[in-house]
Amino acid sequence: MEFLYLLLPVSMLFVLMIAALLWWAVFSGQYDDPEQDGKSILEDDDTHGSDD
Amino acid sequence: MAKSPFAISRALTPEELRARRSALVRLGLAWLAMMQVMMFALPGYLRRDSYGHDNLEVLDSAIVLMNWVSLTMTVPVVLYCAWPVWKGTLRAIRNRHVTMDVPVAISMIAAFVPSVYATITRHGEVYFDSVTMFIAFLLTARFLEERARMAIDNVRFATQMKELREPLMAKSDRVAMWFIAVQLSIAAIVAAYWWMVDPVLALPIMVSLLVMSCPCALALAAPATLAAAHTMLAACPDLDTKQLHQLFTGARKITNQNLYGALVFHLISTPLAAVGLVTPWLAALVMFISSAAVVANAWRLCRMPVDGSADSAHAMAG
Repeated sequence: MEFLYLLLPVSMLFVLMIAALLWWAVFSGQYDDPEQDGKSILEDDDTHGSDD
Repeated sequence: MAKSPFAISRALTPEELRARRSALVRLGLAWLAMMQVMMFALPGYLRRDSYGHDNLEVLDSAIVLMNWVSLTMTVPVVLYCAWPVWKGTLRAIRNRHVTMDVPVAISMIAAFVPSVYATITRHGEVYFDSVTMFIAFLLTARFLEERARMAIDNVRFATQMKELREPLMAKSDRVAMWFIAVQLSIAAIVAAYWWMVDPVLALPIMVSLLVMSCPCALALAAPATLAAAHTMLAACPDLDTKQLHQLFTGARKITNQNLYGALVFHLISTPLAAVGLVTPWLAALVMFISSAAVVANAWRLCRMPVDGSADSAHAMAG
């Protein structure tokens, strides 16, 4: 029984952290246009290649 | 090309972007809380009176603890994630016009308040898992509906789409209103009956019936079909009048299938819930499955052959 007093707060802390991360990720715009984000690597502008 | 359910169909205005972000956060948080609460609800489902006195004592104190944790996680879901529902209900009350938010709010209260009472008095069943599940599934259905609605703007056949859209939306609204009225009265009558016969069963049965009275599938019927029709139009913009007519006939047919299919589905599951065979969490799942089936049926429109142009449409929309 006693282990619950440790595990329950730990799991709630985890949930809180995940919730905060999700909040931050969405409101920083990471999910605004997943379709375009997926394509962006293919539509990369390669014309000015790097030096090497 | 396959599209993500979270993809957007056009550039959004700042307000739309803000609305989309908060809808997404509410949705994500509801799913997160739902999975946690389901886990904490497990000991309650495993409990049997035959476990022996000592074991039951330990289990019951664990269940009380778990119930409190579930309560803490359900409160933000009910207050924050379900905020659009409360707002819609308040507006409905002010305008004296029943919308789909009203039965949803009633089912949330009917499941949440007795659960809080049971948690505090340490006696009786809790339905926090059903509440969070219901809200998470509902928000998912609404998110898809909103996306389907947005997809309709911005197309060459905008006028024709409008002509297709208005009667279909009006019809599905009418069907949904009748559905809500009938379901709410059934829930009230059945709950009253069980209250007299077996008060212990009255609450779970009423909660199941109220959860099933949510017309999510009906609400999705028209927008999902319209979104599919829109995708077809975007994929082959050079349809002639005959092909357009063909597409719209198909769209009307599929909307009717969706509406009446969802109705029949609910008609079948309501008696099962009324005799106590459908638990509240199962009712939430049933609601979600019917919504998903409606969306899947609507996307069949993209596979409908519209004469010569079908192949190209299929390739782009499928």
